[in-house]
Amino acid sequence: MTRQQVRDVVLHLLHEVVPEAPVRDVPPDADLCKSLLLDSLDFLNFVVAVHDTFHVDVPQADYAALTTLKGCVDYLTLAYERRTSRGL
Amino acid sequence: MTRRADHSVEPLSNGMAANSPLYLAATIDLDRAVTWLGETNAQRPAPDRLVMAALFLRAVTHGLKDVPELNAAIVDEDGRSSSAVHLGVAVVRRDGALVVPVLPDAERRSVDDLMKVFRALVRRARTDRLREADLGEPTFTVTNLGNFGVQAIFPSIVPPLLGAVGFGKVVEQPSAVDGAVVCSPVVTVTLAADHTVGSHRGARFLTAIDRVLQRPEAL
Repeated sequence: MTRQQVRDVVLHLLHEVVPEAPVRDVPPDADLCKSLLLDSLDFLNFVVAVHDTFHVDVPQADYAALTTLKGCVDYLTLAYERRTSRGL
Repeated sequence: MTRRADHSVEPLSNGMAANSPLYLAATIDLDRAVTWLGETNAQRPAPDRLVMAALFLRAVTHGLKDVPELNAAIVDEDGRSSSAVHLGVAVVRRDGALVVPVLPDAERRSVDDLMKVFRALVRRARTDRLREADLGEPTFTVTNLGNFGVQAIFPSIVPPLLGAVGFGKVVEQPSAVDGAVVCSPVVTVTLAADHTVGSHRGARFLTAIDRVLQRPEAL
């Protein structure tokens, strides 16, 4: 999966969690929770959507890596590569 | 279904309107609950993780078990009264609208089950996909506006309900423990109770919530 593809999927998942929020207008380095008014439940729904879509289980200790859109793309591109390189 | 509203309205000597609700608040230490939640979630895959609100909901069901006078009884067509707890959960949608879908039979559910149902319910409420079954009659309501930065919320009682509870934002607060100042996470819990419930019962409800949140491992 290319970074662009990961980015598109992340945006889609965020849109599913918060359909009314301006997901596509969020700058890559902006805090997602603050920009999209995500509460802890919305954020968990996003992490679950990531789990179901990318088959990547983001441990709670890594939540900080998902703070921004850029962070999500960096983290998930790498995690997805690792997963596929293990043949999963 | 009809609801029994058999609380009598008596005039109060202090001149307050007899139907003014009682407001009681308690600041509850969440140090143990936060630690337990972190440790529990660290061992679970994302779909099985909990948020603090699930612990709050479980604590509310314990409080209502201790003080059933706060839970509005539902009477069926045959006149049988039920002690089921149907929690109305106030959810603010992104357009600012407040919806109160119902989490049914909350008193029978484990914290994991409450979390599962609550997560799905809020999701449906936020995405405008509530089902008819989600909009049943609550017997008590819970408002959790902490995520909006509100430190304490004074909820309204929707007649014929007899009470509502609000959870504020979890904040770090210094306190003195054994002569030393320590910081711990706390939440302000506010109960609005019909005046017929009585402040002593309201206090008992808040004490029960505190007790549950001090022993999260027992959930």
